[in-house]
Parts: sequence; C-alpha cells; structure tokens
Amino acid sequence: MNWLVNTLGSSIGKKLLMAITGLGFCSFLAGHLAGNLTIYWGKDAFNSYAAHLHSLGPIITMAELGLLFFALVHILTGTTLFYQNFKARPVRYSMNKSAGGRTIGSRTMPYTGFFLLIFIVFHLINFHFIDKTGTTIYQIVHSAFENIGYVVIYVIAMIIAAIHVSHGLWSAFQTIGANHVKYMPFIKVVSYVFSLIIVIGFGFLPVYLGYIA
Amino acid sequence: MQLDAKIPGGPLAQKWDRHRFELKLVNPANKRKFEIIVVGTGLAGGSASASLAELGYNVKTFCIQDSPRRAHSIAAQGGINAAKNYTNEGDSIWRLFYDTVKGGDFRSREANVYRLAQVSNNIIDQCVAQGVPFARDYGGLLANRSFGGSQVQRTFYARGQTGQQLLLGAYSALMRQVGTGKVKMFPRREMLDVVAINGKARGIVARNLITGEIETHTGDAVVLCTGGYGNVYFLSTNAMASNVTAAFRAYKKGAYFANPCFTQIHPTCIPVHGDYQSKLTLMSESLRNDGRVWVPKNTGDKRRPQRIPEPERDYYLENKYPSFGNLVPRDVASRNAKEQCDMDKGVGETGLAVYLDFEDAIKRDGKEVIEKKYGNLFQMYEKITAENPYETPMMIYPAIHYTMGGLWVDYNLMSTIDGLFVLGEANFSDHGANRLGASALMQGLADGYFVLPYTIGGYLAGTPLEEITTGHSAFKESVTSVNDSVEKLLSINGKRTVDDFHKQLGHIMWDYCGMARNDEGLKKAKGMIQQLRAEFQENVLVPGSKKDFNQSLERAGRVADFLEFGELMIIDALSRQESCGGHFNEAYQTAENEALRDDENFCHVSAWEFTGKDKEPVLNKEELKFDNVELTQRSYK
Amino acid sequence: MTKTINLTLKVWRQKGQKKKGRLETYKAVDISTDMSFLEMIDVINEQLTLEGKEPIAFDHDCREGICGMCGAVVNGRPHGPEKGTTLCQLHMRHFSNNDTIVIEPWRSRAFPVIKDLAVERSALDRMIQAGGFISVNTGGAQDANAIPVSQEAAELAMDAAACIGCGACVAACPNASAMLFLSAKVSQLALFPQGKPEAAKRAISMVREMDMLGFGNCTNETECEAECPKEISITNIARLNREFYKAGFFSAEK
Ligand SMILES: Cc1cc2nc3c(=O)[nH]c(=O)nc-3n(C[C@H](O)[C@H](O)[C@H](O)COP(=O)(O)OP(=O)(O)OC[C@H]3O[C@@H](n4cnc5c(N)ncnc54)[C@H](O)[C@@H]3O)c2cc1C
Ligand code: FES
Repeated sequence: MNWLVNTLGSSIGKKLLMAITGLGFCSFLAGHLAGNLTIYWGKDAFNSYAAHLHSLGPIITMAELGLLFFALVHILTGTTLFYQNFKARPVRYSMNKSAGGRTIGSRTMPYTGFFLLIFIVFHLINFHFIDKTGTTIYQIVHSAFENIGYVVIYVIAMIIAAIHVSHGLWSAFQTIGANHVKYMPFIKVVSYVFSLIIVIGFGFLPVYLGYIA
Repeated sequence: MQLDAKIPGGPLAQKWDRHRFELKLVNPANKRKFEIIVVGTGLAGGSASASLAELGYNVKTFCIQDSPRRAHSIAAQGGINAAKNYTNEGDSIWRLFYDTVKGGDFRSREANVYRLAQVSNNIIDQCVAQGVPFARDYGGLLANRSFGGSQVQRTFYARGQTGQQLLLGAYSALMRQVGTGKVKMFPRREMLDVVAINGKARGIVARNLITGEIETHTGDAVVLCTGGYGNVYFLSTNAMASNVTAAFRAYKKGAYFANPCFTQIHPTCIPVHGDYQSKLTLMSESLRNDGRVWVPKNTGDKRRPQRIPEPERDYYLENKYPSFGNLVPRDVASRNAKEQCDMDKGVGETGLAVYLDFEDAIKRDGKEVIEKKYGNLFQMYEKITAENPYETPMMIYPAIHYTMGGLWVDYNLMSTIDGLFVLGEANFSDHGANRLGASALMQGLADGYFVLPYTIGGYLAGTPLEEITTGHSAFKESVTSVNDSVEKLLSINGKRTVDDFHKQLGHIMWDYCGMARNDEGLKKAKGMIQQLRAEFQENVLVPGSKKDFNQSLERAGRVADFLEFGELMIIDALSRQESCGGHFNEAYQTAENEALRDDENFCHVSAWEFTGKDKEPVLNKEELKFDNVELTQRSYK
Repeated sequence: MTKTINLTLKVWRQKGQKKKGRLETYKAVDISTDMSFLEMIDVINEQLTLEGKEPIAFDHDCREGICGMCGAVVNGRPHGPEKGTTLCQLHMRHFSNNDTIVIEPWRSRAFPVIKDLAVERSALDRMIQAGGFISVNTGGAQDANAIPVSQEAAELAMDAAACIGCGACVAACPNASAMLFLSAKVSQLALFPQGKPEAAKRAISMVREMDMLGFGNCTNETECEAECPKEISITNIARLNREFYKAGFFSAEK
C-alpha cells in the first residue's frame, strides 16, 4: 500500500484528493439544492421531502459519514497545501501583481474554504443537530429566516461558496487531467454557471422564506 | 614543430572506418578507471560528456552558466545539415562533403570534412531517438528545408529553435548520466588554466564563480568544448559569456592556435542602435529573397526612407551584381554594406545600417504572402526596434557571428598538447575559411557523439599515464599564476571599466580586422591593441573582491585574454597574404570583388605557437592536400 | 527618434545567500527607450562601478530570449509587464518618464538568492536528472524516419519543448510551484512514441523529485501560463497529471 500513500501523498496526489472530494461536494450541493427547491411547492412538499430522506435510514447515515470523510480529507489536505505553499516562498515579494491568471476564486481558496467550514458547522447546528420533536423542518427553517441576521449570513455564505466553487469546479477537471482545448472553455463556463446557480438557488431561499412565503 | 594531422591512409570514403579499426580500444571494464575532464556543455561538450559516460568513463563536466542547458548553442536558429537524402534530390555524403569543402573556400582538411558528412546521418537518428521535436510532414516523417550554399534540401529544423532543441537533447542525455553518477557536473565554473604534466594534459584549474575559490581537478585527458571567440569584437551575435579564455590559456600552455583570423560575418543583423548596446541579434538571411537592399544616393541624406524618391535611391547590390542581385553570398553582401556606410551613405541614427525594403515585394505578392513567409521575423524585428517593417524598410547591418579559427587539432581532435582534445567551435577543423549555414550544429554533435568517444579511447589505451594528484607542483604553479592574475586585475583600481576597454577593442577589431582588411590597417590596429592592452594593465577598474560572485572580475579576465588574442588574430591576418572566405584582404580580389585565393602559397592551415609573453608567436604550417576535389574560384556570376 | 527617460529604480541588493537583503534606490537618468531592460542595468552598473560601488549582480547570457538565464521580478511581474517576453527582450519603451521600477529576484525556497538578482536554480536540473530524458545510448538509434510521429504530436511536443527553463513559472506562481516546468518536459516526452517505454517511471520519479526540492504545490492559479515567456500552456499540467495517475495507479512502477 506504500504505492498508494506515495501517489496520494505527492503534490499531484494531494490535488487529486482535493479535486475528487471537491467534485463530491459539488454533486452534493446539486442534490441538496434540488431537494431544497421543494420549498417553493410549499411546506408540505418540503416536509415530505425531508421525511422521505429520513426514511432512507442507513443509506442516509452512510452518505453522511461519507460526506464527513470527504470533508475531513478536503480540510486536512487543503490545510497541508496551504501550509506547504506558504512555506515555499519564505521571502515574499515587496510588490506583487497578477498577470491575469488568478481569479478572485483562486486567490481566496483557503480563506473562503475556512469560512465555509465555519459556516457548515453553524448550518448543521441550526438545522441538523436540532431537536426536531414537535416541529417540522419547515417550521425550523422558516422561523430561523425571520431573523434578518440569519438571512444576511446565509446570503453571504452562498456568495462565498460560489466564489469557492467558481475556481474549484473547473480546477478539479484540470487536476484530474481533463483539460482539452475543445472542452476546457465549456467546462469553465459550466463552473461559472454552476456558481451562479448556487448563489441564486441557495441564496434566494432565505429571502423567500423570510419575506415572501 | 612538424604538424602531423594523423590522417589515416586509404581512399577518402574508407579512412574513418579504417581508422576506427586501427584505433586501440579500452576494455569496457577498464574504462571506469579513467577520468575525463570536459569543459563546456554546448552541443560539443554536452554530447561528448554524455557519450563518454555511457561508455563507462568517469566524467567531470564544467560550464560557466548556472546550468549546462544554457550554453551558447541554445541560440542557434536555422537548422542542422545531414546527408539523409530524404527529399530524393540526389543528396549524398559526397555532395555534403563537397559543398562544405567548397563553402569553406578550400581551406579545410578533406578527411575531416568527409568524416563529418559521414556521421551527419547518425546525428539525426540519435537526436530523434532522444525525443528532439524536429519538424515533420503530414505523414509523420521528417521535414527538410534549404539553406545557403547548397542546392538540395538537407536541413533538419525545429521551428526557429533548432539549436535549443538539439542542445536540450544533449543536455537530457547529460543529465541522465549525472543522475547515474557517471558525470559530475560543475556549473558556474570558469576554466582558467590547463595543467600539463610531462607534456600531457592532466587537469585544469577553474574558478568557482560563486565562491571565488580556485579549484583544481585532475583527469586522464582534458576535452575543451568552449565555443567560439566572436566576442573579441564586443558586439556579436554570440552570448555574453562566450570567450576565448579557455582556448587561449591552452594556447599559452602549448596548444597551437589555428587560423584565428577566419571569422564569419552575417549580413542581416539588426543594426547597432547606441553605444550602450550589448549584443546583436541575427535576422534570417532568407529575408534577402524578397527584400531589396538600398541606401540613399546622396551622402548624409537623413530623410525618412519613404521621403526619398526612387531616383535618389541606390540599390547597390542589384546595380553591382546584376545576376545575383540581393542574393550575393554572406561575405559579399556584408562587405558592400560596410563600403556604403564608409562612404557616409549609411542610414539610421548611427549611420551604420542599410535598408532592406519589402515595399516592392508587398506590392507584387500582397502583404499576406510576405507575412506568411516572414511574419515571425517581422514580429521579432518590431519587438526590438519598434518599427513596422511592413511600412518602413527594415534596417540591417552585418555582425560577427561565428569563428572558423580555433585550436589546432589532428584527425583525432587532439591538439598539440597530448591528451588535450578540442571539439566544436573551439577547434579549427571542418569549416575552412567560411562556414556554411547549419553546419556548426552538425560539427559540434559529430565531434561529441561520434568522433571523440572513439579517438579518446585510442589515446588512453595507447598512452602510459602515471598516477597524479592535485598536489603535483604543476598544479601548484598553475594555481599561483591564476591567483596572481586575478589579484592583479583587482589591484589595478584604475579609472576605466572593463566594458569600456572591451568596447574599444571591439571597435579596433571591427574597423581593421572585420569584413575587409588591408595590411596598413592591420599594422595600425596591432599598435592600437598593444597600447590598449598596456592601458588596461594600468587603468582598469574592477570592483568587488575575488572571494565572491563577481561578474566584473569574470569579464575582466576574459577581456584581458581578448586583448592579447586580438593581436594574434591580426598577426594571422597579416601573414595570410591572400583572400579566402571570411578573410578578405582588399589587396587580393578578383575583378568582381571576390576573394582571390593564392593556392600556391597559402593552401595551408596557419597554426600559431606561443613563445612567451609579448613575444611574436611562431607560425607552423599544415599543408592542405586536395586529392578528391578540384580547387576552383568561387563566382557568383 | 531616440527618446530618453528618467527612472527611479528600487533594486534588491543582497550580498550573499545567508545575508540580509533590502531594496536600494537608484536614479536612472537619460535612459534611451531603445535599450533593453538589461542594457539599462548595464548602464547603472557602469555608473556604480565608476562611483566605486559594487554593481548589481544579475544573470544573463544570450540576451535574445532563448537561454533562460535572465530574469527578475519587475514591478511584481516576472520578466516585466510584456506578455511572452523575457527580461532581456523587454525594451525600455514600455516604461514612461519618471516611473518607479521595483526589481526583485525570483523568490522561492527552491531558488535561494546567490547575490542581488541572481538565484540558484539547480533544482530545475535536478528534476531533469530524475527522468527528463529518453534512455538511449549514443549509437544505438534506428533510422530517424523509422518512427513516424504525427504532425500534431510533433507540434504539441515542440510547444512544450520551447520551455527555456528560466524559472519564471515558479517565480510567478503564488505557491512557488514548478509544475509548468515539469509538465513541459514530461509532456514533450510523453507525446513521442520514443518516450513511452519510460513514461511511468519518468512521471513518478520526476514528481517525487520536485516534491523533495521545496517547491510549492500547484493549485491551478494559472499565473505560470500567463507569465511564461514562451507561453507554455497548462494543458501540459493536465497531461502531466494524467501521466502521473496512469503511472501511480495503473503501472507496476512504485
Ligand atoms: C545567433 C546564432 C545562430 C546560429 N545558428 C546556427 C544554425 O542555424 N545552424 C548551425 O549549424 N549553427 C548555427 N550557429 C553556430 C552554432 O550555434 C555554434 O557554432 C555552436 O553552437 C557552438 O557549439 P559549441 O558546443 O562548440 O560551443 P558553445 O555552445 O558556445 O558552448 C561553449 C561552452 O563552453 C563553456 N565555456 C566557455 N568557456 C569556458 C571556460 N573558460 N570555463 C568553463 N566553461 C567554459 C560555456 O559555458 C558553454 O557551456 C549560430 C550561432 C549564432 C550566434
Ligand atoms: S539572457 Fe538568455 S533568455 Fe534572457
């Protein structure tokens, strides 16, 4: 198994771990968003979606554990990369200018990542590890977003998530080696569109629940 | 001393085979007992180091740059010749041999050139196997293009970066051997002396350019691949670190210097634009296929070229050489440009340039056609000069580009010091008085991959070599003298910088020992150089210390050698009372201004022997015999 | 017509690898806009020498953009502001009168400063030693045309092989990663049939060597591609990744 440690432990291997887990999160986000959209069909639709999910029982636990594992890998690898990359340039430039390669997304990956981590903990405390006896998930969500502070935090978080994903998604394709002159421009467009969908899809929900519904 | 070129007997085409058979061999198990020093990592040094290590020898390789991949060979653009005849045009080893001998104006050694043509094909095979990305046709086979001095397409190329790709091929082979431990690489070292013990080269003294430490290295043979000396002119197309130091110090130790006055001037370079300029850039001479060369008819005409009406333009090449026009050979085109500028008809701010005008070609063929042919060259020109050559005529001027002269070597590439081999541009061997395009790369790689690996074995197998260490008195003496000269340079503490002297030397060499030479000028220049050298010894200013990364000190050492070497070039030019190839003595020309050889008296190699500081060197002649080709007058009618 | 400009230079001066360095300010007066950037430094160095000071150390050799010896970070940009241009080919006409120019060496743990602007780049050679070659001894090659290579592959290989090994990619990378350099070599050789037999070994040992040399990790910032004077594409990095996975997961190489 030494070979596996060597391969995954190399600089490219670490990137691969980031890419695969990142792509995992992207598909999770897509699924999560699809589920959340049931809110627009009203509270019953949303509650029954939640109930349906819970009825999956062990499958959902497995999925959760899987996500947790992905998160651990993503966080640990990301932190290692951040630390190693910081050390790779002991003396900094006194003047730094981009030639146009970097984007806001790529520039801020570690920071947006760190923020998202805190946000996810916050999010799980609010909606996941909450006592749901005698109430429905719709009520929990609805009452949370009556608080303007929550709305602001969620909208900001979604913007940050979109920034993170705007680099992460195409970058994951590059990392797994899928950069082709014919397809890369398309993949980049998809990354940006996907980020936009995240901002709008997730970001509009709190506003909708808090003020419109 | 009687020079013995050790040319093998037998018919020309069989000499090399026969020689390889007759050479003594070193048994594979014994090769690892030998240590060989290679100085230089250009095409010659890189390929030699790798090949020797592959054979099992232990190799120590030195270069000035921080990496062997940066040797001057990297800058070659055009291509490399080989007699593959892939184009089915009737090329052959014999034709490549003949073209090269004739191109060299019959001042090279038949046997060497024939061998060069023979191994040229192996070079291409070797490079392709290494992964050199030569240009290819749609079918996936290698593409060829044509080059000056030949009527067949035999030039292999990798875009405009053939030298780079060939060097990277040799470099990768070298790196592989460094990885296996067979080659020890010493970058950022400058060789400052050859150490000879009992008449045999047994080591070198080098300066570590970062720490300033003077290091000694022993070896069973020393191979110099240190390139050409074009920078004696200060401005040339050579890289900044190109120098004569290694070769010149070997000369002082007893290696003869052959034909130092044979230098090649390339007619189409971007002209000098100011006295701060450090280097000249070559523009492919293919431009002369469509460009028309002209200067204003009236001296001192400073109008913009577009403002000068047709009748006031002098298309001097077309007028003077109606049949060849703008396509006269390199040396003729160069000399004529100089002549025009000497008459104060030169253009541009410095007055040292002529126009190369594409207006008619664009009118005739359309801009697109011209762009397709020369687009990248036009772009490069625009980058450097900020002028758009589609609208304003290009300005060009000749520049020093290659040096045919070098240390004298025999057929085994061994100099007059036993065990000191010289390869590539640093030796004098294969190009006579003029080199054809795409032949230098061929020669460097031929020497390194396919000639030296055999001949050095013959030397090592047949020569008793005693054990020596760097503690030997010869090493100590050498270190002392190197140290002294370094300290001397730092102690003068005068008022003029090294570059200042170098520029002045360059002007003298260019004016009197450049494109056209005459006895009077050469004699004058000799005095001027002596004077300049004397002033250098008193008045040069070299800042910094010797125990440091000190680039001024590096340059000072090289310029000190150029100051002595320049005089040797002039002595050689004066002694060769004929014109041939790159050496054009105005007193010897045909009615058409062509170089007029004197085969009766000068069909020889002039090999100069050092006799002591400030003493006249002694001329030794190697007579050249042409049994296979007929000596003819070059003519461009 | 020749124009001249005056500039303020802030140049990194550092006496040696272990010494502390700092930015020193110099006035560059009457600089012809036709000069190259290095010629401008030559002029300053001549002045400094005549004033009895030590000239600025900087590496350079060919001065035509092919040897890869030159390089400095000019106003935060490796090789200066022009695209696809080495420092030696950058001309002063791209600057304006009274500009301030900050000049720093390549900065990376793998490239320690030797003096002033000159850095030690032997790490690049070390990576090539680890496998940047095709193991073919002199003399053993078959006829060059025995191995056809599609024009497309040859062109792509040439695009990658155009790398001059200057290290600007490392200098430009926010992570000081050498992936573009490494990927250019791996790609060139992977694209040729001749390079295939050793492809797996090459990818693994070159990447391993890179990781040991103290470079950072690639995070697809693509600054390398944007600054590369030979405009080498990051599609080479994707190819390297593929080669590495193939080697790591599907070959017997360890
Ligand atoms: C602009 C240009 C274009 C050219 N184009 C072509 C072309 O298209 N085709 C062609 O055939 N030829 C061409 N040439 C000529 C050709 O490039 C050279 O002749 C050839 O590359 C010389 O190779 P070399 O190995 O002999 O020496 P170089 O490549 O010059 O290498 C010299 C080596 O010696 C080292 N060295 C020198 N002195 C010392 C010292 N004292 N101590 C330690 N090391 C030392 C250097 O570091 C370097 O590694 C061109 C030349 C120029 C200038
Ligand atoms: S000096 Fe050679 S690339 Fe700039």
